Amino acid sequence: MRLDIHSEMILEEYRTKLPVFERLKAIVMELLQRCLDDNNLIVSGLEARIKTERSLAGKLELKGYKYHSLDDITDILGARIITFYSDEVDLISALVERIFEIDWSNSVDKRKMMETDRFGYMSLHYVCRIPESVYNDPAMPELNHIKFELQMRSTLQHVWANMYHDMGYKSDVEIPIEYQRNMSRLAGMLELADEQFSQIRREITDYRRSVQSLVASGNFNEVPLNGDTFRSYLELKPFGRLAEKIAAINQAELYEDSLMPYYKIFYLLGMKTIGDIENMRNEYSEGAYQLALHQLAGTGLDIVACSVAVQNLCIVAVLKQGFGEAGLLKLFNLVYGESSYNAQRAQRVFEQAQKINLVQ
Amino acid sequence: MEVIINQQEEKTLVELKGRIDTTNADQFQQEVSPLMEGNQLDIDIDCTGMSYTSSQGLRTFLLLQKSVNARGGKMVLRNMNPMVKEVFDITGFSNIITIL
Repeated sequence: MRLDIHSEMILEEYRTKLPVFERLKAIVMELLQRCLDDNNLIVSGLEARIKTERSLAGKLELKGYKYHSLDDITDILGARIITFYSDEVDLISALVERIFEIDWSNSVDKRKMMETDRFGYMSLHYVCRIPESVYNDPAMPELNHIKFELQMRSTLQHVWANMYHDMGYKSDVEIPIEYQRNMSRLAGMLELADEQFSQIRREITDYRRSVQSLVASGNFNEVPLNGDTFRSYLELKPFGRLAEKIAAINQAELYEDSLMPYYKIFYLLGMKTIGDIENMRNEYSEGAYQLALHQLAGTGLDIVACSVAVQNLCIVAVLKQGFGEAGLLKLFNLVYGESSYNAQRAQRVFEQAQKINLVQ
Repeated sequence: MEVIINQQEEKTLVELKGRIDTTNADQFQQEVSPLMEGNQLDIDIDCTGMSYTSSQGLRTFLLLQKSVNARGGKMVLRNMNPMVKEVFDITGFSNIITIL
C-alpha cells in the first residue's frame, strides 16, 4: 500500500500516540462498566478496539485528503455496547450522555436515517470525549481531547451488522440489486423480532407485578402455579414456620437453601394453583413435623436445611394419598434424579412412616 | 478419620475414611481448607470408607461446596454408605449437596 506524505505523517502520529489510545481504551471501558454496574444494567456485550495500523492505512489510502491530522479521525478508538433489547439502546445512550461529552455534529442515529425504500438495520453512533470533570490525568492531558466512537445497538442489530460485514459490503448501495429484496426481508424480520422481544419482556414484567400482588393478597386459589407465581409465593416464606419447628427439635441452625427446585416437584405432583400447595401445607404440616421428629430426635444433628420442611411435606403427601413405597421412590427420583440410593431411602422412610402412622 | 487428597490435572480427588465427629471435625476442616482456597475447579469426594458425619462435618461440606461453586466448579460426593446418606437425607442436605 502506497500512501502520500500527508497520510504517512498521520500514520506516524498514530504510532506515537498508540500508548495514549491504549490508556484511553482502558478508561472508557472502566467508565462504561461502572455506569452499567451503578444502574444494575446487564448487557449482551461491552467491547472496545483500537483501529489497527493496517486498517488506518487503508482508510487513509481511500480518503486521507479529508483529514488534516489524526485528531480528525474519530474512530481510532471504537467502543461498543450491545444491549439485549432494542428499547434499552435509548436508556444506555441517556446514561452515556451523562458521562461523556458528545460531539453532536458528528454523532448519528442511524436507526432514524433509514429511508423507507432502503434496507438495513443500524445502530446509534456517538462521537465522544472524556470531560475533565469525569477523568483527569495531568500527566496525559490528551486523554480529554481525543475523540472516540461509541456504538450502541441491540443484539439483533449487532447480528445484522456482523452478517453484513462478513459479506464484505459497507453500504446498502453496493449490494447487487438481485439480492436487495432478500436483504430487505431479513432486515424487516430482525426489526420486527427486536420489537417483539421488547414487547414480550414488558408484558412479562407486567405479569410478574400482577402476580406478586395477587399472591400477596392471599387469593391463592386464583393463582396458577408456574415459576413466577411460585417464586412470589416463596417470598411469603410459607414453609418457614414448619422449618423452624423442625430445627427446634435439636435446637439446630437453619440453613436457608433454595426451594425453587420444588416448583417442578409440586407441578409433577399435579398441583395446579398456589392454593393447592397451601392446602397441602395446611393438611400435612403436622405429619411432616412428626416425620422429622422421628428422624432427628436424639441424633444431635444441629443443622438442618429449610428444604427439609418441603421435602417432608411431599413425603407425607405421597403417603397420605396412598402411593406407598413406590410413590416415595418416584418422588426421590424426581427430587434427586435417578440413583441407587433412592430405593433404599424409599424403603427406609416408608418403614419410619409406618411406625408413626403416616401410611394410609 | 483420614483425608487423602490427590490433586489431578482436571480435578481434585478426595478420599475420606472413618468417622467425622466432634472429636475430629476441626481437624477435618483444617485438612480440606486448602481446597477452599485453591484454583482447582472440581472436587470429587469418595466416601466409601466414611462411616459417619456429624453436623460439623456437614458444615464443612457446605463451606467446601460454596467455595467450589464460587469459582465455577462442582463438588460431588460418591459411594456413601446408607448410614451416612441418612444424615444427609434427614437434615435436607441431600437437597443441597450433589451425592452420586
